[in-house]
Amino acid sequence: MEALLIAVAKVVVIFAGMVTIAGLMSLAERKVSAWMQYRHGPNRVGPFGILQPLADGLKFIFKEELVPEGANRLMFRLAPALAAMPAMLTMAVIPVGGTVVIAGREIPLSMTDIDIGVLFLLSMSGLSVYGVILGGWASNSKYSLLGGLRASAQMISYELTLILTILAVVLLSGSLDLRAIVAAQQHVGQWNIWYQPLAFVLFTITMFAETNRHPFDFAECEPELVGGFHTEYSSMRFALYFLGEYCAMTVLSCLAATLFLGGPSVPFWPAAPWYVGVLSLLAKAGFFLYLFLWVRWTLPRLRFDQLMRLGWKVFLPLALLNLLATGAVVAFTHGAQ
Amino acid sequence: MGIVQRKDLSLAERLYLPEVVRGLSITFRKMFEKPMTRQYPEEPLPKTEVTRGQPRLVVKDDGNVACVSCGMCEAACPAYAITIDGGETERPIEREPVRFEIDMLRCILCGFCEEACPKDAIFMSDELELADSSRGALVYDLEMLKRPKAALQKRIDYVYRLNQRWRKSSSTS
Repeated sequence: MEALLIAVAKVVVIFAGMVTIAGLMSLAERKVSAWMQYRHGPNRVGPFGILQPLADGLKFIFKEELVPEGANRLMFRLAPALAAMPAMLTMAVIPVGGTVVIAGREIPLSMTDIDIGVLFLLSMSGLSVYGVILGGWASNSKYSLLGGLRASAQMISYELTLILTILAVVLLSGSLDLRAIVAAQQHVGQWNIWYQPLAFVLFTITMFAETNRHPFDFAECEPELVGGFHTEYSSMRFALYFLGEYCAMTVLSCLAATLFLGGPSVPFWPAAPWYVGVLSLLAKAGFFLYLFLWVRWTLPRLRFDQLMRLGWKVFLPLALLNLLATGAVVAFTHGAQ
Repeated sequence: MGIVQRKDLSLAERLYLPEVVRGLSITFRKMFEKPMTRQYPEEPLPKTEVTRGQPRLVVKDDGNVACVSCGMCEAACPAYAITIDGGETERPIEREPVRFEIDMLRCILCGFCEEACPKDAIFMSDELELADSSRGALVYDLEMLKRPKAALQKRIDYVYRLNQRWRKSSSTS
């Protein structure tokens, strides 16, 4: 009973946190873009526009929902949920902190204790393609279909690089358990970013392609495809796609922080209390989240053939070479054991 | 005919990443610059005597409008925004407007009425805001157009100064 209560509490906290971060990201996106263009951004709803996501959410709920003629209704309704769900599920395996002792019970600060966290995470990120391509196909619109196809082609090709870079980290720490990966980099000197700089750069860039963000946002390439796979969506289902996108960004940012920057470990303060650890993870993930926005308002969009060339001819070989080199080093240094 | 010389990219430029970082540094610096946006209702527009806002009727210091309802502004108005009905009065000028309406939705703020007026009775004020919930409410009548002379004094002085040069040039010819 007690274990169930703890699990429910964790689910509620993580879910609420994810939705809050996604909402704040939608505000941050508009604020950051405004600042970079000498504007103010939304500042009318609440102090500094902090309640803008709430107002947006309310508006989305009250809007009429349109289903295009000839659309596959079941798939059309299911797809946004399929897009948002995997991103949120992934958060379950990310260790938010160490363990807390509340009322005499030791509670690990991650939703699940599975020791193949990395594997779970990768399979979930593979699932997120379905939401995109089903949404594009079920809409019965050429723009949606093209957007969905592009998005899925892109996500599948970049997933290879993503997995290979993660594998290099897994090789170094010798475990598929994210908590073990965190435990292996408690000090700043042990952070994987120093041992895997190439993997870090590749992971960061691939992150953008994986979440369909600028400069790789071919799924919603406005000049060519109107709105991409979500062209025909309206109301809360449209918002659900964006919730999914922001959640995926949050998860990948947390993952980047976990894999390369030591997750919830605090630099130069090994005995930090647990809440500082959580804040530390949030700060690290926050940097990556900011990077998403920063890059979006800096770089122009690539061409689709450039994207594919970059993915298959540059990133994949580099990631393979990196994995090979890492494997060789690990084999020669730890092989004797 | 210009010939576009293709620039040979250096290795760093072809690697793309250094250039990306350069671009990022630019946008980061721009983030902290002062926004150009004017927060309009809180920060009103700058107004000078040159500002050509909505036309208003001058009320002289004795409390009467300067207008004698001659109809010059009505004739000059290119948008047919002005409607005047004249009437008699006991004052020495004998005529005054009974009805004086400007349809603010028609008015194009050109200032021709101000130029046409022989009695210095109509001037362009610095009032620019125009909003209401019906079209009828935006047809301003005599009472809504009246402004004390002091409120328009800066504009009046400006128009006099502007007209001064015509007086000079006409005297020489």
